[in-house]
Amino acid sequence: MKNFGAVVLSLVLTPAIYAQAHLKSATPAEQKIAWAEAAIKAHPDRSQPYNELAIAYVNRVRETADSSCYHQAETAIQKSLELTPDNLEGQKARVMILLGRSEFTRALDLAKVLNKKTPDDVLLYAFIADAEIELGEYADAETAVQWMLDLRPGNVPALLRGAALRRLYGDREGAMLFFSQAYQQMPPTQAEDLAWTLTQMADLQLSVGHLDDSEGLLRSALQKFPGYYQARESLARLETAQQHYSEAVEVLRQRNQSFPTAASSYALARALERAGHTADANSAYREFEASARRTIDSADNTNEELIFYYLAHGHDAAEALRIARIEISKRHDVGTLDAYAWALYANAHYEEAQKQIASALAVGVRDAVMLYHAGAIAESLKDGPAATQLLKASLELDPSSETAGAAREALQKLTPATAEVRHSK
Amino acid sequence: MMRKILFFMFLLSYVGRPTVLQAQQSSTNELIKTMQSRVRRYPEDYAGYAGLGAAYLQKGRETGDAADFELAKGALEESIDLLSNDPAAAFAMTQMAVVCMAEHRFDGALVWAQKALALGSGDPSPWAIAGDALADMGDYVGAAEAYSKLDSLFGSEDEKLAFSYQRDTRKSFLRFVAGDTQGAIDLMRSAIQKAIQMHMPAENIAWSQYQLGEELFQIGEMAAAEKAYLAALEGYPGYYRGLAGLAKVRAAQGQYKDAVDLFKKAIAAVPYPEYATALGDVYQKIGDTQEAKKQYQLVEFIGHLSQINQQIHNRDLALFYADHDLKLNESLELARKELEVRHDIYTWDVLAWSFYKSGKFQEAADAISHALAQGTKDAQSLFHAGMIYEKTGDSAKAKSYLSQALATNPHFNILYSEVAAERLAALTQKDVIVSQQEAAGVR
Repeated sequence: MKNFGAVVLSLVLTPAIYAQAHLKSATPAEQKIAWAEAAIKAHPDRSQPYNELAIAYVNRVRETADSSCYHQAETAIQKSLELTPDNLEGQKARVMILLGRSEFTRALDLAKVLNKKTPDDVLLYAFIADAEIELGEYADAETAVQWMLDLRPGNVPALLRGAALRRLYGDREGAMLFFSQAYQQMPPTQAEDLAWTLTQMADLQLSVGHLDDSEGLLRSALQKFPGYYQARESLARLETAQQHYSEAVEVLRQRNQSFPTAASSYALARALERAGHTADANSAYREFEASARRTIDSADNTNEELIFYYLAHGHDAAEALRIARIEISKRHDVGTLDAYAWALYANAHYEEAQKQIASALAVGVRDAVMLYHAGAIAESLKDGPAATQLLKASLELDPSSETAGAAREALQKLTPATAEVRHSK
Repeated sequence: MMRKILFFMFLLSYVGRPTVLQAQQSSTNELIKTMQSRVRRYPEDYAGYAGLGAAYLQKGRETGDAADFELAKGALEESIDLLSNDPAAAFAMTQMAVVCMAEHRFDGALVWAQKALALGSGDPSPWAIAGDALADMGDYVGAAEAYSKLDSLFGSEDEKLAFSYQRDTRKSFLRFVAGDTQGAIDLMRSAIQKAIQMHMPAENIAWSQYQLGEELFQIGEMAAAEKAYLAALEGYPGYYRGLAGLAKVRAAQGQYKDAVDLFKKAIAAVPYPEYATALGDVYQKIGDTQEAKKQYQLVEFIGHLSQINQQIHNRDLALFYADHDLKLNESLELARKELEVRHDIYTWDVLAWSFYKSGKFQEAADAISHALAQGTKDAQSLFHAGMIYEKTGDSAKAKSYLSQALATNPHFNILYSEVAAERLAALTQKDVIVSQQEAAGVR
């Protein structure tokens, strides 16, 4: 079995001389924006430069979390389609914008239409896979990714989506392998792509309590793309797992200096609470609630965080369930199933909760928080053995997860004599 | 001629991915016609334009005509204009990087290779171009790093072997630069075996054998170099590189008539300035100054034929002028211009020689130190260093470098090998006289 420690270490230590020599001060997306604008100036009657501009703006959102760039992307696409109606590249860019704005059903519908016309286009399969993953249609996503790999063996978009699916299926090592293979192919100039991939790998390591490996990957990500907001968010989660609550607050404060999202605001509120800054935490929670409630019925929302907020801090289980039902009507990915199950549990609908969490775990996902939820739900249904097994599984998977304390307490109540689970790194 | 390795390596490798696996049944002209017809019928066909661009590149490789590279560029631009944000566009972008390399726009080549890689197509080929561009710009560490990525995790065994071949040929060059000439030779031999095993096209195998010949020539292994060049010609009769290589060996062996015939045949196939220079030098050696002059005129003519030729032959012209004490101001200007786009050891060497011939010895010493910084065992550069240090008054260094030059290859240059021996003898004699005088208490 491959030694992923070595893989992680090699990615952390690989010298970036070539990268340092050639990384310009502009980010990759900024460079692409500049190139596209120059191309538009040179050829204002061509649609492709507008497509490239749109895609560059979408990339910029991923670099910064600045969602206003979607508007600029949309403007560019409109121009492209005016010049060359129905041009494929323009329509593909439109799918990217829809995905970025979390309009997964619309994105999927458009991608499928385009895919029928051009069945050998690898990126369209990628878009289909992205939408299907978000909607919880994992089997269809897998079909799309397999098509990608069959059309173009080893292509990076396929490897990244394959990694995401493997993670969902509980195949952590397989996911790491795909991430690593994708990473090896990325040129040093693609700083954000590199940082994003490293961050995904860091999250994966964090999810199983490999804190040192996670830290190494995140440091490497921040070296590749300084200030990268996604890496900072992950770093905050890592600090929390290490019980460095003040450090987590500091990291999130830095992150939120640029384009804070409702989700990052919620993360900061939680970090403040853990760090004992109750007044600041309450204020941050109120801000988050106000912001998140504005988008409950939008595609681009923070409903999952809002559900958990109402269950843990907002003390409004009924509202949590109401919002969960809105989400589950649109998608049934594992995250939504878990949130729905927990909301049902909080409202004493234990059997329904059991059904939903079972659906989530049936995918194969190995997530300590979900396992804890499943254990608590099983316990509420008086299924002691199942509860014990699930709670132990949660602690064995990640003894430093955010629910580890609650899992230990619950396990203690169930099996006082055998409740001890050691921390391991 | 070692200096031309990278140029031809990428041309070899980048007509298609990997070209080595495709049976090249059609002539290139036929392929061009086919692709032209295709894009006329389907003007939105990005793959057609990409194929046309690749075909023009192949033509350019066969003819050495820079105009073909411009045609390639036009077709590839059309392809990329139609599709640029999809893994499928990586091929056209990689070809564009090859065009940039052919036109000595190394920065541009690196950018296109990186763009191709950014699409994540799964094809590691662009790493080779990226490495070549970096090597030509003098970033050998970056080049090695890029070449190390030439590993296909996917695809057939043949494809993996093809990438292994690409890696070996390039690493061979880097080893040569680093002074490990024997290591370079070993890698090139390994690459040839792989080329044969893969049943690569005859011209590709011949190229590899020619490269081996070049490396062997560099260390004065005339018999082995001759064998390699002959193998290239046997596998690909009339191969102009093989002809030029064998001509060099014949000149080194004192078989000047044969050398003349062979160089003439090489020039008839592809009129490179360096072949015309070498032929002129052979004529000079045998006392036919009239014919020598004709060849030297041809060198200038080719060098100034077009804007692209001027760009890609800057260094050749600079060296030609310096070697023959002609237009030394222009030699220096050309060398400096070349240094603006690349800082590889050969550009530093030509700059050093131009400085030397212009009487600027300190500047020459500075430049030659850059040329030798990697430890390369290139007899010509070592000779230049010897001559330069003699003029700066450092006779110990001068003798050392001249000795190294002759030890590396006593026949490194038809005109200057003897000069090296003469200067070394003179410096040695001078030292003997000084010692004697010191011993006699005269000094």
